[in-house]
Amino acid sequence: MEGFFSVFTVELLNSGIRLATPILLAALGGAICNQAGVLNLALESKMLLGAFVGILAAFYLGNSYGGLLVAMVAGGLLGLLFAFLYHKYKVDLVILAIAFNLIIVELTVFVMRAMFGNVGSWSDPSIVRIPDIEIPIIKDIPLLGPILSGYNLIVYFSWLVVIVMFIYLYRMRGGRHLRAVGENLSAAETVGINAILLQTLALVASGALAALGGAFLSIGHLKLFTRNMSNGRGWIAIAAAMFGVNHPIGVFLASLFFGFADAFSVRIQNVTDLPPNLVKLLPNLATLLVLIIIAMRSKIAISMARRRFRSQLHAEGTAAATEK
Amino acid sequence: MKSKQLRKLLDAILVPVLAILSGLVVMGILIVILKKPLFESYAILFSKGFGCEEFGNCIFITALERATPLILTGLSAVVAFRSGMFSIGQEGQYLLGAAIAAYLGYAIHLPPILHPLVLMLAAMLVGAGYGWIPGILKVKLGVNELLATIMLNSIAALIIEYLVQFPMRGDRSTTAHSPVIDESAQLMSFLPGSKWGVGFVIAVLAVIVVYIYLWRTKAGYEQRMAGQSKRFALFGGIRSDSAAIRAMIISGALAGLAGAIEVMGVHRRIMTGFSVGLGFDGLTSAILGQTHPIGVFIVAILFSGLKLGAQLGLQLKLGIPRELGGTIIGFIILFVAAGRLYQDNISRVRDWLDRRSIRSVKGESR
Repeated sequence: MEGFFSVFTVELLNSGIRLATPILLAALGGAICNQAGVLNLALESKMLLGAFVGILAAFYLGNSYGGLLVAMVAGGLLGLLFAFLYHKYKVDLVILAIAFNLIIVELTVFVMRAMFGNVGSWSDPSIVRIPDIEIPIIKDIPLLGPILSGYNLIVYFSWLVVIVMFIYLYRMRGGRHLRAVGENLSAAETVGINAILLQTLALVASGALAALGGAFLSIGHLKLFTRNMSNGRGWIAIAAAMFGVNHPIGVFLASLFFGFADAFSVRIQNVTDLPPNLVKLLPNLATLLVLIIIAMRSKIAISMARRRFRSQLHAEGTAAATEK
Repeated sequence: MKSKQLRKLLDAILVPVLAILSGLVVMGILIVILKKPLFESYAILFSKGFGCEEFGNCIFITALERATPLILTGLSAVVAFRSGMFSIGQEGQYLLGAAIAAYLGYAIHLPPILHPLVLMLAAMLVGAGYGWIPGILKVKLGVNELLATIMLNSIAALIIEYLVQFPMRGDRSTTAHSPVIDESAQLMSFLPGSKWGVGFVIAVLAVIVVYIYLWRTKAGYEQRMAGQSKRFALFGGIRSDSAAIRAMIISGALAGLAGAIEVMGVHRRIMTGFSVGLGFDGLTSAILGQTHPIGVFIVAILFSGLKLGAQLGLQLKLGIPRELGGTIIGFIILFVAAGRLYQDNISRVRDWLDRRSIRSVKGESR
């Protein structure tokens, strides 16, 4: 039992928050697309593109922060291409996502091998990992300090995005329009909202965020690129967006849950002698479980709404009868 | 009547053919960027993927061998799609089917013909069970089948890694693998030195069976109607839910069969890295093959040839990374999805042709 509790430490919280960051960034991107009514299943490919372009740009620019920016631009451009194909040629979004996922997985390795020879993963000693930042006053708070301080810029930026997205979606005009488009596209267009523009913006923002999440993996967390580095995190992010009902705060909590599941499985591998392959199942099992919870939640919501509707009908019926 | 049928067939293959041509153009662009010889690359790709250097040593035979599991996973995707289930769980079902076949291949001992049959049956059962999970979750609870099958795929891949490293590990060699299956369980191959054999015949039979099921039986009709329009099917008295679950079970069984054949006919065991994305390739061949069994059959052979040509030809002879093959396949899917791009222009040309023919008919009558 002692061995079991030794798993829970501050380091576990720290690594949980770190591992949640790429999922959070991509999930926020997925959430804004869902709010705008465009299904973005290509988060995985945008993450992987960000991871690859980010480390490449960091190498050529000699600056890792520059690498992050270039990765975001690349992800945004991929989002723009997505929006163009969707709006102009009415391409099926699911098939489009599958095509892009395949292209990016293969193309990144293709380019890596074409540039650096026949290698399975690539890194260069000149690349600098994004440094961790200790926040002056917060780091001295007992208990909370070590949990809140000591991450790199991307982690803090992802928290900022949560707040900004919340204000944009629920406190600003543009965000209300965006949600209206997702709620009912033709109604929003009738009142003069430019739905295509808003959906395009959502796809571009989502691409940039997911790519930043990918760059976190290649230059923020590790310092290398390997084949299929995102390793399904983009798909987990889609589940996280759904789990957090596409609300920035909800998505934040959902991503933390998946980050902790990930950190927990890493930690268990270190402290116990359970077979690592079985422990690695944890995040996937957690995601499957969450998908089932999401489905049951919406099923209950529908049946509640139906019951409310029925009782309303009943109440109106009796009211009409008494008036007579 | 005949010309109408011909026109329908042309319509069905026009977009895939144009998409493949566009994909080859993209490949040319990438090769030019790499500063490699363009025309030589095409020649090598096709000669190494589909060619025959000498009689009895055909690379095309290898392409057929590689196409065998692809045909079956492609059919698996077709059956699922045609019921309206967007399942991409072929990979997981394929892996678990392979695992049970590899285990029963050395754990039990049976006479030659019976042994493969038992293995295939077991793999189909396991695959069907693994397909049933997302099916029932979708129908009873409304769990998104795409996400559920992706998670089930990763779970199956990790289970395989666990099995070959611990309980099923054959010996203490550097790469973990299970013991070789009994001779009685191995599938015969047609030519010495090749692994193209009975498995391919089974795949061809599966193409025919799936075609008959989907277009010639009541259950298949119900399933296709449920896939096209749930509401229409409901009004017609079709229980689309049970049709969807049935489809997922059949789909899983086909993918499991693919795993068993790959073990019995090619590898004779399972090892780390057994999963190479075959399930995903099956999915793409279903999309490109217009979710039709015969389309899948053609596309699966084409894909295997392209990948083989990229691996044996472009990588070994010209030093072009073999990932080019996969990249091109991805672009081809993209072009199929953007089929409107072609169709708009095709219909414009067709309108113009029709107008001309009408004008000429009018001229004659006058």
